Amino acid sequence: MQMLIRLEAGRFVRAADDFITLAAEGDPPADGGVIVPLAHWAEMGERLLSEGREVGVRLTSADPVEALLPVLERLSVVAVEFPIFRDGRGYSAAVLLRTRLGYRGELRAVGDVLVDQAWNLVRCGFDAFETNASPEQFAASAHRFRHVYQASADDRPPAFVERETV
Amino acid sequence: MSASLQALTANDLLTGEVVFRSMEGWTPRFADAQLFSDPLDARAELDLAVLETVRLADPYLIDVALTDGLPSPTSFRERIRALGPTVREDLGPQTEGGPLVDALRHSHAAARSSGRLGLIRKR
Amino acid sequence: MYSYDTIDAAMLADRNAEFRDQVARRLSGDMSEAQFKPLRLMNGLYLQLHSYMLRVAIPYGSLNPSQLRALAHVARRWDKGYGHFTTRQNLQFHWTRLSDAPDILDHLATVGLHAIQTSGNCIRNTTSDPFAGAAADEADDARIWCEAIRQWSSFHPEFTYLPRKFKIAVTASATDRAAVRAHDIGLVLHRNDEGRLGFEVIVGGGLGRTPFIGKTIRDHLPAEHLLSYLTAILRIYNLEGRRDNLYKARIKILVDSLGAAAFAEKVEAEWVAMDRARIDLPDLELARIRASFGLIAHKSDPGGRAAFEADKASDRAFSRFVRNNVSAHKHPDYAIVSVSLKTIGDTPGDASADQMDVVADLGEAYGHGDIRVTHAQNLVLPHISLRDVRAVYEKLSAAGLATPNIDLASDIIACPGLDYCALANARAIPISQDIARRFADPDRAEQVGELKIKISGCINACGHHHLGHIGILGVDKKGEEFFQFTLGGSGAEDASVGQALGPAVPADKVADTVDRLAAAYLDLRAPGERFLDTVRRLGVAPFKAAAYADADPA
Repeated sequence: MQMLIRLEAGRFVRAADDFITLAAEGDPPADGGVIVPLAHWAEMGERLLSEGREVGVRLTSADPVEALLPVLERLSVVAVEFPIFRDGRGYSAAVLLRTRLGYRGELRAVGDVLVDQAWNLVRCGFDAFETNASPEQFAASAHRFRHVYQASADDRPPAFVERETV
Repeated sequence: MSASLQALTANDLLTGEVVFRSMEGWTPRFADAQLFSDPLDARAELDLAVLETVRLADPYLIDVALTDGLPSPTSFRERIRALGPTVREDLGPQTEGGPLVDALRHSHAAARSSGRLGLIRKR
Repeated sequence: MYSYDTIDAAMLADRNAEFRDQVARRLSGDMSEAQFKPLRLMNGLYLQLHSYMLRVAIPYGSLNPSQLRALAHVARRWDKGYGHFTTRQNLQFHWTRLSDAPDILDHLATVGLHAIQTSGNCIRNTTSDPFAGAAADEADDARIWCEAIRQWSSFHPEFTYLPRKFKIAVTASATDRAAVRAHDIGLVLHRNDEGRLGFEVIVGGGLGRTPFIGKTIRDHLPAEHLLSYLTAILRIYNLEGRRDNLYKARIKILVDSLGAAAFAEKVEAEWVAMDRARIDLPDLELARIRASFGLIAHKSDPGGRAAFEADKASDRAFSRFVRNNVSAHKHPDYAIVSVSLKTIGDTPGDASADQMDVVADLGEAYGHGDIRVTHAQNLVLPHISLRDVRAVYEKLSAAGLATPNIDLASDIIACPGLDYCALANARAIPISQDIARRFADPDRAEQVGELKIKISGCINACGHHHLGHIGILGVDKKGEEFFQFTLGGSGAEDASVGQALGPAVPADKVADTVDRLAAAYLDLRAPGERFLDTVRRLGVAPFKAAAYADADPA
C-alpha cells in the first residue's frame, strides 16, 4: 500500500490510503473507496457512485480538468499524476480545480512526487501526497519560504497584500 | 595501424574540474591519464565510475591518439577540456606548460568528433 | 532604482537556505543527480566544460555600485578575477565550485543579487531597455513593469516546471533596444489614442534551432492587467506546450502550430475566466514600485553643456568617443554613456574585477548610482551630466573600457562557445577577435558604420546570430570548425531573421569573408544606408558573390 501524507488543518500527517486505485481492467473490490482513472470513468463511474462508496478520479498529466465538471461535487478524491516530477502540468490542473472549478475534496499528488516539490504542491492546492518522505521532511520543504510573491490556490497572502498591512 | 586508445574522463562533482582516471585515482592532469587499449577494460572502468555518484559528475570515455608518442584526445572539444579556454592561456590546466601541453595544442590527430555525445547530452 | 524590502530580502535568504540544504543532500548522496540537476539549474548553476558556471541574474539589466562591487568581489574570491556579461543582461562566472555556491549566493544576497531562475524550465530573467528611465522616446519607465514581472515570476508555484525555459522582454520605446520580438513574450509599453498606458503583447518569438519573430496577440492590454494576462499565457503554455520533444517544447512552436489568432483566443478565454483581482497588482503596490524609480533630479547646466561641446571640438579622440559611445538623454544637459566591453582582441562581454570596480566607482561618483547591462554585452551609465562626460571618458579609457565602437563592426556579440560551453560545436570568441582586428582602425570602422555582427557557437543561438546584420553560426564539419553566415537579421523594432549566405566557411576564412562583405557594402550602398539597409534593398545575391569570389570549392 502506498504511503500517503495528508495536510490536515495545516499539519502534515502520515495517513493510510483508504482508496484502491483501479487498474486498467479488473473489477473493483466489493466495498471501500475507489479511484478510477478518467479514461475508465464512462464505463464504471456512475455505477460506483450509486453504490454509496467514496469515489475518486485519477487524472493523467494530459487529462483536462474540465472533464470532471459534471461529477466534481460527488468526488471524494481527485488524484493528479506527475509522471515525472518535472512535468509541471499537474500544478495548473490543481490550481484550476481549486480556483476555477471550486473543488473542495481531497486533491492528491501521485506519481513522481518528491519532497522538494512540496512547496509548489501545497501552494497549488494539493492536500494529499503519495510519497515516502516523512511528514517532517515534507513540512520543512513546504514551509521553506516565509513569504510568497503571488496569489495561488492556497490562502497565503502575496507580498503586495502583506505590504499593505505594514 | 596502432590500436585505438581511450581514456576515462568526468567532472569532479564538488569543484566541477575536469578529471581523468589515472592509475592512482582521478587527476586533473591529462598527462597522467590512464590509457586503455582494450575497450573492455575501458568499459569496466566506466561502469565503476558511474557508480561514484557523490564524487563524479557524468563520466564518459574519450578517444585518444598518439602524436610523436604523446597522447592527445582526438576530439577538439576534449582537447579544450584538457587544456582550458584557447582564448585565455593563463587559465586552466594548460598553465602548467611543457611538452604534453604543446602536444595537446598542436595535435593533428583529430579528424573525428568522437568523445562528444551529441549536441544536447541526454541522460 | 528598486531596493529590496524585508520581504524581498527574506525570499533570498530562504531560497539560499533551501539551496544550501539541497547541495548538502546531494553531496551526502541523499539526492541523485537526476533529482538535483533541475534544482541546481534553477539556482543558475551549470556544469560546463571546465567547471561550474554560475549565472547571476541582473534583473532587467539594472545594477547599483554596491552590486557591481559585490560581483567584482565574487570574481576575485571565488572565481578567476573576471565575469562575462550575457545577451540576457546577466553575468556569468565560469570557474565556480558547487561547494562554494551557497557561500557565493549568500554574499550576493547581501546586495540583493541572486541566481534564481537563470536556468531551468522556468521563467527566466526579464530583460529590458538599458536606456529605460533616460530615453526621450519612452512611454513610461519599463523597469517598473519589469520589477512587477520579477516578483510575480519568482518562485511561481504553478510555473516552476514548464515544458521549457521562458523569456520575457519589455521595452517602452518604439526603438527596441531589448529585442522583444525575439522573446517568448515581448511587451511593448505604449499609450493608446486616449493616452492610456498599455502593452502590445507579442508571443512566440525565439531563436535557436527554429527562429521565429513573435506575433502580436493583443494590440493594447491595459497596463494594470499585465500580470493576469501573463498568467493566462503561461497557464496555456504549461498545459499545452509539448513535453515529448525537447526541440519542440518552446512556446513559439505552440503558437506556430495553433496559429496566432487561435492562440490569442485561448489566452483571452483563460484570462476572462480568471479571478484577475487576486493576481494583478493593486494600485498601491504599483505606486510603491514606481516611487523607487525616477528619483534622479536632473539639473540644468548650460555651462556643462558648453564645456562638453568645447571638449569635443578640441579633442579628436574624445569627439570620436562621443560620436559612437554617447547617446542623447531625455534631459538636454545629460548623456547616456556606453561602456564598451569589446576591446579589440579581448573576449566580448568580459570584464575583469578591476574593470567592474572602475564602473562601479563611476556610477557612484558621476552616474547617480545607476549602471546597466545591455543585451549586446556592454554596460551603460545612463545618467551622466554633460559636464562630467569628459572625466568619465578618461577613467574609462584608462581602464580599457572606452573603445569607440558601440554598434560598429567590432562591437560583436559572441557567446562563450566551445572555449567554455559544454553545448558548443565551435568556438566563437577567437572568431570575434579575428573579425574585430580587421576593424581595429577606428576610421575604417566608422566608415562602415553600424554593423551588428553576432556569433553563436552552436544552434542554441545564445549569441543571437539569427538577429545579426551579419550572423555567424559555428558548426562541426568532421571535427573541424566551420562557420555559416546569415545576412539581414535584426533584433530591433524592424526584427527579422537573417538569410543564409552560402556554404559554411572554415575558421581561418571567416574574417576575410566579413572583410569582403563590408567592402561589398561600401561599393553598393546608397547615401545614408546602413549595411542592413543595403542588404534589405539588394538581397543576399551580390553579397554572396563577393563573399565567395575565387573561393575554393568547400
